[in-house]
Amino acid sequence: MSTEAAVVLNLVGEVLYWHLPKNRGTTYIPDTRTLWEVLWQYRGNLGAVVHSHPGKGLPGPSGTDITTFAAVEAALGKRIRWGIITYDQLAYFEWKGPGEHDYICTDQQNFDITLKWLKDLHTHSYGGIQNG
Amino acid sequence: MADELVPAGQQEVIVVMQDYEARLNVTWNGQNGDLADPIPFDASDNDIKAMATEAIESGTVAGIAEAQPNFNDFVVDRFAASEAVPYNRVFVRPKTPFGD
Repeated sequence: MSTEAAVVLNLVGEVLYWHLPKNRGTTYIPDTRTLWEVLWQYRGNLGAVVHSHPGKGLPGPSGTDITTFAAVEAALGKRIRWGIITYDQLAYFEWKGPGEHDYICTDQQNFDITLKWLKDLHTHSYGGIQNG
Repeated sequence: MADELVPAGQQEVIVVMQDYEARLNVTWNGQNGDLADPIPFDASDNDIKAMATEAIESGTVAGIAEAQPNFNDFVVDRFAASEAVPYNRVFVRPKTPFGD
């Protein structure tokens, strides 16, 4: 069983904050003021927020994800990248417009376990990568 | 809580805050500021977001340029007066959940 988790990255892909609230679940990460305070604190150097989804294959944002992307960017006054991982893939989504909720996939990758933060996010979400 | 003297943001005006009132702080478009006037602490979330919208649309929030904000996907946090901050505070911020 998996548990959703999130990580906040700076503009060069370094970890700024691990978002692992106790009441996160298999298919959700609840609203918290803490995450917003982190995003606001690091707004000048904020590059991406990446979170996990259950299952395998190409990830896609939920309706809740997209409205969160749009609300956070509206408050920050800037656009950032939004990553989502599944067990075996990573994809990034960015606003392309014209509507406020028009986000598209701009990058899709198979899992690169040489990235430490990605490996750690996988462990927080799925318990780690199984060989074979 | 007795009435408290509260500095009103950047306007350098002292405002008397009643027990039933709160200072409203808003973040929009990379800017953050307090409304000059206190709001009712027990106002509904929708009413608070409407007050924030009206204040920004009229350009009366110190630190936030006049704009037409959309707070549909924002939430309201409330903090009662405490020893550290002796008046009620309300914040309008973006929601942050992910998932279903």
